[in-house]
Amino acid sequence: MSGADEDPTRIATHLLSLEGLCLDRREWTRWLALYDEDVVYRIPAWRNEDEETSDPNTEVSLIYHDSRTGLEDRASRVEAGRSATTMPLPRTAHFVGNVVATLVGDGVIEAEASWNVHVYQPRTAKQSVHFGRYEVQLKKRADVWRISRKTIHLQNDRVSTVLDFYSV
Amino acid sequence: MALTNDIETIVDDRVDEGIFRVRREAFVDRDLYDLEVLRIFEGTWIYIGLESQIARPHDFFTTTIGRQPVIVMRGADGTAGAFLNSCRHRGTLLCPLRNGQRKIHVCQYHGWAYDSSGRNVAIPREDIGQYDEAFSRLDHDLVPVARFASYRGLLFASLSPDVPSLEEHLGDARIFIDLVADQAPEGLEYVPGSVSYTFDANWKFQLENGLDYYHFETVHRSFVDVLQQRGNRSQAASPAAHLADPEPQAQGTFSFGHGHAVMWSIGVPGQGPEARPFGRDPKLLAAANARFDPARVQWMLRHRNLTIFPNLQIIDIQSLQFRTWRPLGVGQTEMTSNCVAPIGESAEARRFRIRQYEDFFNPSGMATSDDNVTYEYCQDGFAALAAGDTQGHVRGVGAPPEQRINYGPALGLGSDSAWAYGPAGFGDESAFHTGWREWRRLMRRDGVAR
Repeated sequence: MSGADEDPTRIATHLLSLEGLCLDRREWTRWLALYDEDVVYRIPAWRNEDEETSDPNTEVSLIYHDSRTGLEDRASRVEAGRSATTMPLPRTAHFVGNVVATLVGDGVIEAEASWNVHVYQPRTAKQSVHFGRYEVQLKKRADVWRISRKTIHLQNDRVSTVLDFYSV
Repeated sequence: MALTNDIETIVDDRVDEGIFRVRREAFVDRDLYDLEVLRIFEGTWIYIGLESQIARPHDFFTTTIGRQPVIVMRGADGTAGAFLNSCRHRGTLLCPLRNGQRKIHVCQYHGWAYDSSGRNVAIPREDIGQYDEAFSRLDHDLVPVARFASYRGLLFASLSPDVPSLEEHLGDARIFIDLVADQAPEGLEYVPGSVSYTFDANWKFQLENGLDYYHFETVHRSFVDVLQQRGNRSQAASPAAHLADPEPQAQGTFSFGHGHAVMWSIGVPGQGPEARPFGRDPKLLAAANARFDPARVQWMLRHRNLTIFPNLQIIDIQSLQFRTWRPLGVGQTEMTSNCVAPIGESAEARRFRIRQYEDFFNPSGMATSDDNVTYEYCQDGFAALAAGDTQGHVRGVGAPPEQRINYGPALGLGSDSAWAYGPAGFGDESAFHTGWREWRRLMRRDGVAR
């Protein structure tokens, strides 16, 4: 394997971009496959104007799952179409940039990135944007990099109506 | 003609004839909305927060009542107060922060300063201000809200002095606040991480939804699906028998004066005490068993959704949520949601409480998100004025079942308290009536006294 293949920024950019595209294309199964089974996925809530919550055991998160099954539950809820939030499902466009990544160990990358998601609700023609920062840890197992930890910092946390895995 | 002159026509209240109807305009008319802001949100007791948010001297938090910015703070002497958050000089918002601890609040515009009891302590360069003598006779202190009081650690304020005492306003709804407060011998606190969100619908859809059991198995079917999936995966041990509810499966409501009401359920599968945080803290449960009789502890373990008109719901189900709202427009509402917990709760119960809360509530939860979308469907559907009155306020208005139980007297409710009882899934709608009657009473008042 050449050095360029192992460039952490390239790997992180590819993985995060692919994730956004899977979500925009509504390829939930493919999206889930980008995650480790024991991923910790968290969107902190805000304690006040300047500080997010940090300890999921004692503070509220907007979303917190300590395994991929939490994400699988959410994806299956959207897939099943028995939720009003899917009638209709908003259209999204994910953008990831400012990716800065470091190889911190053998097969472990830590990365930060900026993100925004444009959300368009076809029923009402209303649109909104969610934006913020990602902090991720990526792990390589059997030659495949997956997301082992994802913290989604949501800067504009006064959300309209719905916030779910596909719009962050 | 403006509907504001015609409040009498909005609610057709003839329950003895089996009729209770609310005109659609109540949810879509802008003139009615403007009057609601004035006569309801700025005209009666509004829930604003918990005492524990201002536990220490000089602690403060800010909020809005109706359209008016308010600051709530605890003075050096330990007394709490609520004031209009507006500098006396030129009206500038005095404190732009959500919460904190400050001995002195200094206006960012010209430096006028106030202490944590609302007293003006500085007017910069007053000596060379060439003020007329009349100025020194003015009261430069922050203006307190007309009424401010606390019940069991819940803070309420009214911008209108034309209100009864808080205790009289709450009436027997206090008994259901007590069932929550009594779970917490050391008091209640907000778990850090308050969530604010909006939905594009009238606030009264939220008001009614909190007393609507009927929608659960439709709107929240996808949430029930997730719970079932998880149940299949985990094969968890069956609930502890000693916590099982001895009363028959049932669903019902109690209605109180001043617009408040509560809905409750008994014996719903999967919603037993083992699925509630309070049932998971042995120490707190033991403390409750030591202080209260078994029937009362059983009520503390049951699901209860309490609405305190006009802006508070205390949802004590699989977690404990206090949610409040303020209207932003006839078709837009801002919610603020907090997870509430007993101070001193066990770490394990706290962690469970938070996970349960995150699952269900907030736009990021898998249940409230469906409610929010449904309210938006309602707002859009109600625009069909040509469709006339809806039929959604009459479940429970007809003859009650022969087998029914009035738990009111055992709970300490007055014998004239309105109650409804039915089997699991009953879905009473008569509990909406008290809110509409209070709406009508406040909307008909002649102006807000100053």
